[in-house]
Amino acid sequence: MHLLDIRNLTIELQTAETTIRAVDRVSFSLKEGEVHALVGESGSGKSLIAKAIVGVLNERWVITADRMHWRGVDLMRLTPEQRRKTVSQDIAMIYQDPSRCLDPTAKIFNQIAETLPEVATTGFFLKRNRARKDRVKALIHKVGIKNHEAVLDSYPHELSEGVCQKVMIAMAIARTPKLLIADEPTTALESTTRAQVFRLLKSLNQLKNMSILMISHELEEIVNWSHGIHVLYCGQMVEAGPTQRIFSQPRHPYTQALLKSLPDYEHGLAHKEPFYALKGTIPTLQHLPIGCRLGPRCPQAQKECVVAPKLSKHHGHSYACHFPLIKEVK
Amino acid sequence: MILDYILRRLGLLFFMVLLLSIFTFSLSYLFPGDVLSNLSGVSNTNFAQSALLEEKYRVNSNYFIQYIAFLDRILQGDWGVSFASGDSVFKHILDLIPATLELSIYALLISVVVGVPLGILASAYYKRWPDKLISSTAIVGYSMPIFWLALLLIMVFSLKLGWFPMSGRVSLLYEIPASTGFILVDILLADFPYNGMAMLDALHHLTLPTIVLAMYPTTVLVRFTRESMLKVMDQSYIKTARAKGLNRGQLIIHHALRNALLPVIKQIGLQFSTLITLAMITEVIFSWPGIGRWLIDSIYQRDYPAIQGGLMAVSLFIIIATIMAELTYTLLDPLSRNQAHGKV
Repeated sequence: MHLLDIRNLTIELQTAETTIRAVDRVSFSLKEGEVHALVGESGSGKSLIAKAIVGVLNERWVITADRMHWRGVDLMRLTPEQRRKTVSQDIAMIYQDPSRCLDPTAKIFNQIAETLPEVATTGFFLKRNRARKDRVKALIHKVGIKNHEAVLDSYPHELSEGVCQKVMIAMAIARTPKLLIADEPTTALESTTRAQVFRLLKSLNQLKNMSILMISHELEEIVNWSHGIHVLYCGQMVEAGPTQRIFSQPRHPYTQALLKSLPDYEHGLAHKEPFYALKGTIPTLQHLPIGCRLGPRCPQAQKECVVAPKLSKHHGHSYACHFPLIKEVK
Repeated sequence: MILDYILRRLGLLFFMVLLLSIFTFSLSYLFPGDVLSNLSGVSNTNFAQSALLEEKYRVNSNYFIQYIAFLDRILQGDWGVSFASGDSVFKHILDLIPATLELSIYALLISVVVGVPLGILASAYYKRWPDKLISSTAIVGYSMPIFWLALLLIMVFSLKLGWFPMSGRVSLLYEIPASTGFILVDILLADFPYNGMAMLDALHHLTLPTIVLAMYPTTVLVRFTRESMLKVMDQSYIKTARAKGLNRGQLIIHHALRNALLPVIKQIGLQFSTLITLAMITEVIFSWPGIGRWLIDSIYQRDYPAIQGGLMAVSLFIIIATIMAELTYTLLDPLSRNQAHGKV
């Protein structure tokens, strides 16, 4: 059974004049224990999708979906209270700016302790307290923080971003969620901490069978351990499929451009050699092109591209393009 | 670290008080009239008295020596005598300031007790009818001049309905010995048979002035708390906490309130100076025997020693209150507690 199954998720922003469709009919699904990556430029709506799943978007955003099933339960049909319970029990999320996602006036210990699930503990207040303390300590050790006493007794602004991110991960795994949504978890970190965080996430996936929905624009980091990749452009899903297939035979020009833009260190780079990049920039949300949103920048664009292409699926590999790069073998 | 901060604040307090004393001292020379009589409050002296005063106030020495002598007298509690009454200014102030303080403290208490929860309520029901009701009422209260409000209340509650008396602190029937100067405390301390009645009477007298005085700080706090709460509720850490599975109540109590109320505490401290100014107006309207009314009377009567003394006492008070509020804020806020030097 699918853990998460989303069909035609649309997120719109109501403004005074018009409705801006920031995420346009995105569908994807996730099985238990899988790592999926949501890839795209900044502003392509990756974070919006994540926040819509967790349900922390402002009221300004209008979310519609044909279905948003979490283990067979449609999240869209639950009352806010039920939804909060379901989501907080099974889904956890970590964010790209960890230090801003921690309450600045609460000590780390209290913030972690509050995420612990209420276990029916017997015994006195003191005993319960000690049990909580031990749990928090175990969690913080698990994410690789050794000097737990100093860290637990600090306020977020006294810690580095890397430690804050580890604390966020500790909070996320406190309830042993089925799905961890990682929204660009490493953008604020330097490379050694980044590697640590990725290692941590990888081990969580392998040891605890935790599914991870990774939102990132760093393809190299996730290619080795993600099962599927979903490429987004401007709020439209352009291509989705198993990681290896996407890498070996991209069908969509945007995916191809994305892969080409990775610097190829193996064959050496010439001095000051320019990286490959698509011409132009990602359009602003107020001026989205009609049809395929990549149209104006696409090297393969033709007249038909003013009509939004349908998602065509082939062996679990789907793409939305009128002129896919490899002709289908009939 | 924190001790360092307290010391620095106390240093600031010291220099502010020093500046204030210099200003007060210079007033004697800036006010029209004879310097000696401005300083001492004694006018129409004969030759022998003048010679004595000159010796005491060192008016023949240079300004610095005079200032030192002035500081010495201030510290000893010799603030000169009032032109109007001939009594010691210091004694006047000691007698009057508790009445003002009492009124201001009750008003501040009421504004915190009423204003902060209303602000939280308004933010919790943002853009729904409770918010609209509270916000619009706050705007009305905020923009209403308090003397006009006072007159309206007197008209309705004192003259029409006769519920509350319109002036004074307590009915003349009760003779309350002044020990602390705070009327309610004094009544509690004084041991006489009609204690309860006197208390009730004093509370009746307090009601209207307190409401009038509390109006402005309450509305400010309502608006400020609401803004602060709305700002905090939009922060990422609130969203994170919500994703953690806290319900709305837990969210507000554990995370939003603490963060939103910190600036409110600062605001309460800032309100104190406005409050004292407004207390003066209120005292005049309700014939409240406080320092504000006395100061305004002194200004009318050109009672220079009294003006000097009153100004100094009130300003001293506001400086101390402001610094205390800031200290409390810093003690409570972990972020500003670790602030480096150079922040005022």
